[in-house]
Amino acid sequence: MENLAATSTAGVLLDLSGVLILLLAFACLASKLFNRYVVYYGAQSVVLSFAAATVAVVFHSVELWILAVLTLAIKGIAIPLAARRLLVTRLALKRDAAMSTGLSTSLIAGGALTAFAYLVTRPALLPNGTVASAVVPLSTAVILLGALSMVVRRHTVAQLIGWLIVENGVFLGAITLVATFPFIVEAGIFLDIVAGVLIMVVFVSGLTRQLAEASATELRELQG
Amino acid sequence: MIALAILIALGPLAGPAAALAGARARMAGIAQAAGAAIAFGCSLALLAVLGGGAPLAAWDGFLYVDSLGGFFVMTVAAVTLLAAVGSISYVSAQEDDGELSGFQVRLYFSFFGLFASLMLAALETGNLGLLFVLVEASTLASAALVGLEGRARSLEAAWKYVIISSLGVTIALAGTLFLFYSGSALHLGSNLGLTWPYLLVHAQALAPQSLRLAFMLAVVGYGTKVGLAPMHTWLPDAHAEAPSPASAMLSAALLNTGMYAIIRFLAIANRGLGSTFPRAVLLSFGFASIVIGALFMVRRGNFKRLFAYSSVEHMGIIAVALGFGGVLGLYGALLQTLNHALAKAVLFLSSGDVSLRYKTREAPQVSGLLAAVPVTGGVLLLATFAVLGSPPFGLFLSELTIVRAGFASASPVFPLLLLALLGLAFVAFARTTAGMVTGSPPDRLASPYRGHAAVAVTAAPLILGLAALLVLGLWIPAGLNTILVRSVAVIG
Repeated sequence: MENLAATSTAGVLLDLSGVLILLLAFACLASKLFNRYVVYYGAQSVVLSFAAATVAVVFHSVELWILAVLTLAIKGIAIPLAARRLLVTRLALKRDAAMSTGLSTSLIAGGALTAFAYLVTRPALLPNGTVASAVVPLSTAVILLGALSMVVRRHTVAQLIGWLIVENGVFLGAITLVATFPFIVEAGIFLDIVAGVLIMVVFVSGLTRQLAEASATELRELQG
Repeated sequence: MIALAILIALGPLAGPAAALAGARARMAGIAQAAGAAIAFGCSLALLAVLGGGAPLAAWDGFLYVDSLGGFFVMTVAAVTLLAAVGSISYVSAQEDDGELSGFQVRLYFSFFGLFASLMLAALETGNLGLLFVLVEASTLASAALVGLEGRARSLEAAWKYVIISSLGVTIALAGTLFLFYSGSALHLGSNLGLTWPYLLVHAQALAPQSLRLAFMLAVVGYGTKVGLAPMHTWLPDAHAEAPSPASAMLSAALLNTGMYAIIRFLAIANRGLGSTFPRAVLLSFGFASIVIGALFMVRRGNFKRLFAYSSVEHMGIIAVALGFGGVLGLYGALLQTLNHALAKAVLFLSSGDVSLRYKTREAPQVSGLLAAVPVTGGVLLLATFAVLGSPPFGLFLSELTIVRAGFASASPVFPLLLLALLGLAFVAFARTTAGMVTGSPPDRLASPYRGHAAVAVTAAPLILGLAALLVLGLWIPAGLNTILVRSVAVIG
């Protein structure tokens, strides 16, 4: 994978997917509607599964094909649908007002983090001209943006989506950096994410029932 | 040998099996304890076999146990055994009391056993990707334990725990990816190439910039699980809200599992980068944790939070010891790991007994423990001295070793600072627990247990753990010494 040239067809496609994934992370950061978070996350996962399929074609790897399909089915369709049901039917949430900074501030911070991602990964770490040198800074930026939206948003559901965006960033990095990752490990990571989402959803529902609104602002009973 | 390793990881699943079959707390607890005893026995047998020979490796490195791994497996299995025995009386008292429903009891034992089994499996794999998978899975299993009681406070703690730890471990996964990437020159085509022993042998060939980033990310990521400051914020809440035997597991087993992952990365970084950079990283995080832990212990309040901050402090001490390096520092770090695990398991289990009897977790509302419940009070007092590093207990020996390592390696400022902070921690911690133990007890304290057997079962892990601490303070068995020396050589 490390030797795949950035100018090859697959390289260009991967690069393009990386850029789209980054833009969708920005879109999520800039949005204030719960529905939109879920839509952007779903779209991001669909692009990610396309990227995984591209790598699968290049390496003739059955395992990566399975992962691409799993990504599409679970992250692209199942999780967004379930999250939508949770948000609309059970919690009746629409607008997310619980942010600790303004939208513009968080977007500027996001831009700064993207620049930082390029600074850290580009020069010494990755050889020029390979697809990794194009995509890994993007995936690092996605990881940082996901973490940023976990920090600026106080609502538990928004934090959960932020974590899922971080996972997408790591996954994008994984398929470009180490395409030979053992399948059992990738599958395990997948399983963890699904289990994680399930457990977190249980907590979100429980907290919502107890606090009327599961906003982390109100989670301040435990201090010191 | 492979059978032994599998039995260790599967043993603790006896509890979940019993719970799913519908057993009540007492029976499920006994099954859990029996499973943990099998795991502990097998871990001792495995250590005995490993003591003289080559590491156990199978299945393309997915299974890999060397003396370092075996040592941590033994530590975690011992803690699991103590906590499982403690669970029998604690959970059945809560069930009899109506505090926990039958469903919650089944949930408790299902996740307790799963949690232990996942941690033991994480310590037995050589594949760093699988290590991430198992550590993350153990986070999720233990989150259910933290949120078990279902009140707003415990759900809040569980949420904080699961979201912060998951993010942290994901960062560690990014570190793992960069570690693999640093080995591009090696053409890591097969599964074997992604295993720790292979990367260790070829550490010199790894690209240094990428390896440095990988080590940083791993320390931050797995450091979140260890509770190194400033990533420790989930820790006091989770420890305070979980049922006491589960707190013992978190503090004495989970934190060590995280530290084990850091040690694996440290070994590769030491060989690939030289020791200067890893030392600087570990000393910074270590001292930050000791300072934070010691300062927050000053506040008198929830005694389980006090013990939790003491865990932050001790994980800091272990990180500092790893940072001092050298044979002395690494030996001290490992010995400290074992001693701290035993002491903290005893402390949290005794805190369970206290909170059942006094119906509170606030230290100022507890007094006269020694008069009311002599065994628990005495154990709490002695364990306080043990955890604070007083002779003749094991932690005195390990902390002395660490301070000596500090004087031997770095400038004398660091060990002197360490001693000063240990002094502060001593005063802060002892002032709270001394208040709990002394004084006159409240007029009427109902025993939460039914029958003398339950009382004996409560006392057994406390006395056993304390006895082990005392033994380790006076005498390190030759076999343990061999394992420690060999593990130190592995870390390098």
